[in-house]
Amino acid sequence: MFVWIENTALALWVSTSLWAYPFLLSLHILGLAVVAGIFLLRDLHLIGLIGALPPSNFFDLRGLAYAGFTLNAISGFLLFSSQASILVGNISFLLKISFLSIAMALAVFIHKQIDKGGNITQPKISAFISLTCWFGTITAGRLIAYVF
Amino acid sequence: MLENFAKSISDSSLTQWIQTEYWLWPVLEIVHFFGLTLLIGGLIIIDLRMLGFFRNINLQSTHKLIPFVMMGFSLNLATGVLFFYGDPMRYAINIGFQLKMILIIIAGLNAACYHISINNLAQKAGANDSSLLLPRLIASISLSSWFGVLLLGRLIPYVGTG
Repeated sequence: MFVWIENTALALWVSTSLWAYPFLLSLHILGLAVVAGIFLLRDLHLIGLIGALPPSNFFDLRGLAYAGFTLNAISGFLLFSSQASILVGNISFLLKISFLSIAMALAVFIHKQIDKGGNITQPKISAFISLTCWFGTITAGRLIAYVF
Repeated sequence: MLENFAKSISDSSLTQWIQTEYWLWPVLEIVHFFGLTLLIGGLIIIDLRMLGFFRNINLQSTHKLIPFVMMGFSLNLATGVLFFYGDPMRYAINIGFQLKMILIIIAGLNAACYHISINNLAQKAGANDSSLLLPRLIASISLSSWFGVLLLGRLIPYVGTG
């Protein structure tokens, strides 16, 4: 299946076009700054390191963060498609996707907690795990190029 | 100027150390990426609020994010200097790197303008007033220059010499 993905017209465009890959990488880092930036600060805030900005502010910002995520899901899939069969065996890539999945699932959970208001202890624990997962996503993502 | 400086440091012991420690480069990259999320993530919130988006957020309270923005910038300045020392001749002649540095200087001057003028203006006009032209202008320059820094940085390996 992954070899088939690599041979689709879109994947071939990504791998053979001179500008497609760097262009997609640029979109990917833009989306990273938006989604990881907002969620990292939300987590730091929920843990108690920022103060002052109420959690509801981060609830307002979630739409923008999800937009960043969507941008990265699309650019990420296209980048993946050009080397699909290699990446599915790359431990760093698999770790990145795992960390990211947990972080995004936690994002939905945390926003539900914030929306309900009240008990802030539960988001605190989730925020700590989420922070770890975002750090893991960035670290594993960067290491894809180094781990074979 | 940049090239002469690069030449002068290209035999330094720091350069040699960075090139010998094979694990160091990826570690620096990870820290650089973590720094950029703090720096740009924080600025997105501050600047978009100054532009008049997310009006539920109190303008003054977004200033609490500035220490995190500064922390991200410091991490990236430190790791960035080490990148440059690690491969001075490659960066010095790279057009992506040169333009990135110019944009960082513009962003820095813009941030200085913010500190000099905005705090006074915001106090005069009320904490939540974002209808003034100057804050909007400063926020736009900040956002566009940092996004430029982000894109140019990512493109350094793909663009040619200046």
